[in-house]
Amino acid sequence: MLSGLPAVLINAALISALYALIAIGFTMIFGVGGVLNLAHGALLMAGAYVYLLLARDTISVPVFESMTLHPLLAFPLAVVIVAVLSYLLYAVIVQFVEDNPVVTFLATIVVALAATEVVLHYAGSATHTYTLIPDGMLPSTIDIGPVDGILTVDVVGFVVSWISIGLLWVYVTKTDSGRAIRATSMTERGAQLTGVNVHAVRARTWLVAGALAGIGGVFLGASTSATPNMWLHPLSLAFIIVVIGGIGSIKGSIVAAYLIGFLQTGVGEYLGQNFRGILSLVLLVIVLFVLPQGLFGREFDHE
Amino acid sequence: MSSESPSVRVTRRMKGTLRSALLPVWNVLCMLLAPLDRALQPIANVYNRTLGGHFGEMNGLQFAVISLGFAAIATVPFWSPFYSETLNITFAVASIWAIFAMSWDIQSGYTGYISFGHSVLSGAAGYTIGLLILHYDPSMGPATTIPVAVLASLVLGLVIAVPSLRLRGPYFSLITLVGVLLFTNLIFAFSGWTNGELGIHQVDPFTYEPWVRYYYMAIPMLLVALGLIYISRSNVGMVLVTIRENERAVSSAGLDPTKFKISSFVLSSIPMGIGGALLVYYGRAINPTSFVEISNSIEIIAIAVIGGMGSVVGPLFGSFLFFFLEEEFLRDVIGDSSLRTLVLWLFVLSVLVFARNGVFRVIWHGLGAVRGDSE
Repeated sequence: MLSGLPAVLINAALISALYALIAIGFTMIFGVGGVLNLAHGALLMAGAYVYLLLARDTISVPVFESMTLHPLLAFPLAVVIVAVLSYLLYAVIVQFVEDNPVVTFLATIVVALAATEVVLHYAGSATHTYTLIPDGMLPSTIDIGPVDGILTVDVVGFVVSWISIGLLWVYVTKTDSGRAIRATSMTERGAQLTGVNVHAVRARTWLVAGALAGIGGVFLGASTSATPNMWLHPLSLAFIIVVIGGIGSIKGSIVAAYLIGFLQTGVGEYLGQNFRGILSLVLLVIVLFVLPQGLFGREFDHE
Repeated sequence: MSSESPSVRVTRRMKGTLRSALLPVWNVLCMLLAPLDRALQPIANVYNRTLGGHFGEMNGLQFAVISLGFAAIATVPFWSPFYSETLNITFAVASIWAIFAMSWDIQSGYTGYISFGHSVLSGAAGYTIGLLILHYDPSMGPATTIPVAVLASLVLGLVIAVPSLRLRGPYFSLITLVGVLLFTNLIFAFSGWTNGELGIHQVDPFTYEPWVRYYYMAIPMLLVALGLIYISRSNVGMVLVTIRENERAVSSAGLDPTKFKISSFVLSSIPMGIGGALLVYYGRAINPTSFVEISNSIEIIAIAVIGGMGSVVGPLFGSFLFFFLEEEFLRDVIGDSSLRTLVLWLFVLSVLVFARNGVFRVIWHGLGAVRGDSE
C-alpha cells in the first residue's frame, strides 16, 4: 500500500504537524512556569478517551454510557474538557509544588501513572480504535500525487494542527493576553513590573496547552489507537522535540518536530519499527551534550 | 518563585491554623512520651558513645523505635503468619525494592541530581545474568553471575554518570530518563537475544521455600543499608549534601564536586546491581516490564519520597510501607487492581504535596522533639 520515498515524505510531513502541536503545549508550560509537565502525555490520552466517551459507546462510564455525539460536536467538547483538566491539574496540584522543580517533576509523572490506572479501571487494557471522520462526509483514504491510500484522518489532523498553530501564533503575537504569556516566559520579573498578573498567565498557559494537548490527543488516538499506555511515547517525543528545538521556544518546537518526524518515519521505514525511537534518542543525547540550549532556546538557568 | 498565588497563600494559612489547632494533641503526646524517652535515654547513650559517631546520634525514643523496626524486619517469617500468609513474600519483594530506593537515595536524594534512570542499572544486572545463562553457559551459578552482574551495572553507571553529570537540574533528569527509554528500545530492537517482551525465564531462583527466600533478600538488604548509612553519615555524605545545597561551596572548599558526584553514582550502581541480581534469583522473569520500564524507576523514586529523600533509612522503611499498602492493606480493602494502584499513586501524590520531606522524617523529627528540643 504505502511504499517508497514519496509515501515516507508525505506521511512524515503529516505526522510532524501533530508532533509540533504536542510539543508546543509542553514547551509553553515550561517557558512560563519553569515546569516540566510530565503529565502532558496523560492530557493527550485524556483527549483520546474523552472523545471516545462522548462519541462512542464502547466505554462504560455511568453517565456517558450510551452517549454518541456527532464527531463535529464531540471534538470541540473533548478539547474544552481536556483544557479544563489541564487547568485543574495546575490549580489543584502543580501550583502548590512548583517552587520545587524536583517535586513538580515527580508529582506530574505520578499524575500520569494515576491517569493510566483511571483509564485501566474504566476502559480496560484493550486497544480502542475510532474514526474521527463522520461516515459519508469524506472518503477514508485519499491519494496525494503518486501516493495512494493516505488516511484522511491524518490529513485532517495535519490541517487542524496547522490551523491551531496559526491561531496560537496570532494569539501570542497580536493579543495582549497572549503577549503577556510570551513576556512571562522571557522574563517573569520584567512581566510583573509591566503589570502582568503572572499567576493568571500561568493558569491561562495551562488552559491553552491543555487545549492543544486535547486536539493532539484526539487525532493521535484516531490515527493510531487509544491505549492506557499511549501517553509515554508522545511524552518522550515532546521531550526530544522540545530539547532539540530549545526549551521554551515555539519556533524551535516546530522545526524540531519536523526534524524528528522525518527521522522517525524514515528510520521506521528503512531500518525497522524497533529502531524508530532509538535514533531520535541518540540525536537527543548528542544535542544535549553539544548544544544544551537547543536550536532556538536560551540556556535554562537552574535557580 | 517570586510570589505566591492567592490560593497557595490561603492553603498555607489553613495549614498554619491546622497546626496550631493540633498543638494541644501534640503537647499531650509529648507529656506521655517524654518520661519513656527519658527512661530509654541511658541505653541510647551507650549506643551514642560507641556507634553514634558512625551512624548518627539518637535520643531514647528514636533508638527504641529504630531498634524495634529493624528487629521486626529481621523476624518477619516468625510474626508474618499472624497477619497474612503472603506477608513474607511481600516483604521479600519490599527488601529488594528497599535496596533500589536506598541506592537511588544515596545518589539522587543526597546530591539533588535526580535520576529517573535507576531501573537501567538494575536492568543491566538482570539482563547480564539472563544473557549469560541463556547464551553462554546455562549451568552458571549465582556465585559467578552475581559479581559479573554487579560489575555490568557499575560499568553502565559510569557510562551514564561521566557524561551526564556535566548537565544540571532538569537536564540531568531528562538524560537519565532518555537512558531508560533507550535501554527499553534496545531490548526490543535486539529481541533475538533478549526475547523482547517475553523476557528470559531460564534462571532458577535461589529457593522456593518462602521463609528462606525472605532471608536471601533481607540479609543483603540489611548489609547494603548498613554500608550506605555509614557512608551517608561520614564526610562523604556531608559533601554530597553540600553538593545539593550549594555546589559552589564544595568547589571553594577545594574539593572537586564532579568527583564526588561520580562516586555517588558508583555508590549507587553497586547496590543497584546487587538488587537487580536478587530480583532475578527471587524468581522474576527478566523482561522489560519488571526490570527496566520507566514505571520501575518512578516506583523507586516514589518509595524514596514516601520514606524521606536524603536519609537512606527513610527509603528502607518507605519500601516496606509501600509494599505493605500495595500488596496487603489495600488488597484487602479494594478488590479492583487498577483502582488499588490508583489509590496508591494518590497517596504518593499527597505525600509529595503535603509532606514532601517524607512520612518517616516527620515521625523521626517528632520522636526527636518530645522533650522540647527540636530535631
